[in-house]
Amino acid sequence: MTENSKSVFSRERLALSSATRFCHWLTTLAVFYLIISSWWMLSLPLPSENSTFRVLPFQLHKNVGLTLFLLLLAMTSSFILRWIKANDRKESKSQIKAKIGHGLIYLMLLFCCLSGYLSSSFSGWGTQFWWLFDLPIWARESDDLNAIFSDLHLWSCWLLIFLIAVHIGAALHHSFKNDGVVDSMLGSPNKS
Amino acid sequence: MKTDMSGNYKEKDFATAGKLLAVLTILFGVLFFASSSNELLKQAVLSSDFAALQQDADCRADELAEEGLSLRECELMLVQVEIFLVSSPSWFRSVQKIFSLIGIAAALASIGLALSLDSRRGFSIRALVLVLSGLVVLDSGMFVVALQTGPLLRAQYLWPLILWFFIHLCLVLGGHFISENTKDKLIN
Repeated sequence: MTENSKSVFSRERLALSSATRFCHWLTTLAVFYLIISSWWMLSLPLPSENSTFRVLPFQLHKNVGLTLFLLLLAMTSSFILRWIKANDRKESKSQIKAKIGHGLIYLMLLFCCLSGYLSSSFSGWGTQFWWLFDLPIWARESDDLNAIFSDLHLWSCWLLIFLIAVHIGAALHHSFKNDGVVDSMLGSPNKS
Repeated sequence: MKTDMSGNYKEKDFATAGKLLAVLTILFGVLFFASSSNELLKQAVLSSDFAALQQDADCRADELAEEGLSLRECELMLVQVEIFLVSSPSWFRSVQKIFSLIGIAAALASIGLALSLDSRRGFSIRALVLVLSGLVVLDSGMFVVALQTGPLLRAQYLWPLILWFFIHLCLVLGGHFISENTKDKLIN
């Protein structure tokens, strides 16, 4: 028995489809772009008739976020289906912890997108979906609701950053151990 | 890494090192993608609205409360844009846009190659080392370009660039080491 096959994470169980891996990495790129660009765009001058510095960054932020939300809905459904399918198998503590961690990340990602959209909806600013069409304005401008959802968006994003840091830490831990977990997210499975 | 009786590194250790190189390349590739995308956005936005700089900052009380800003901070936000435009030579924004686009493409290429990295295949690791070397050259180019700006912009740009330079250099050297030591066992 090799060291890798002794791992609590059997490769057969960890095998993920190319589509799942593609969506994971696409989400990663989108999330890191959103985090880093949001820190910068909030340092731009406040919007007014004369100052339009914030228009492009905010429209892009909202569009990437909305697209990410749609992608996440598909990914979450796939995650839940895989979870249900694997329910009949006996799982180790590490696997249960990993699933809870992933579940929390999905939940926070969805919540961040949703709270951001709701905050934007109550702000009175419109949203053009990828400059193709205007999204319907269904909410009346409300400073109070905008402030509530804006705060929820902010704090849920900080929590998400913490969860992502733990997730990356776990990925590095498994790559040091070379126990096969990282292979499930890379293109080529470890054949050694 | 462990060595066998003859002092050579074991093949398994290189597989582990290759895996670690892949994970680190992806992690830094994602961060560099985000950083380059933001830089591209920055250059696109800050060159588009000169007219606004001629006006006083528009700092409404409700907006200040919403953003948690003081009046002075709000006024300085406009000054920050002015600093950016005044401190850079006219060609700076165009060059930065090109470098950012190259950075985005190279970051995506490094992620793609790291995802398909297989220690038994020589092509992927050599291609990855090549792309990472390209990123080192890009960091050096961006550093030289940033040196041509004023002190206020240099303070913003030089430190992150030198950090990226050494991160990419470490990855290149790690990849080169793995590539060289597994060369005779690779399927090309």
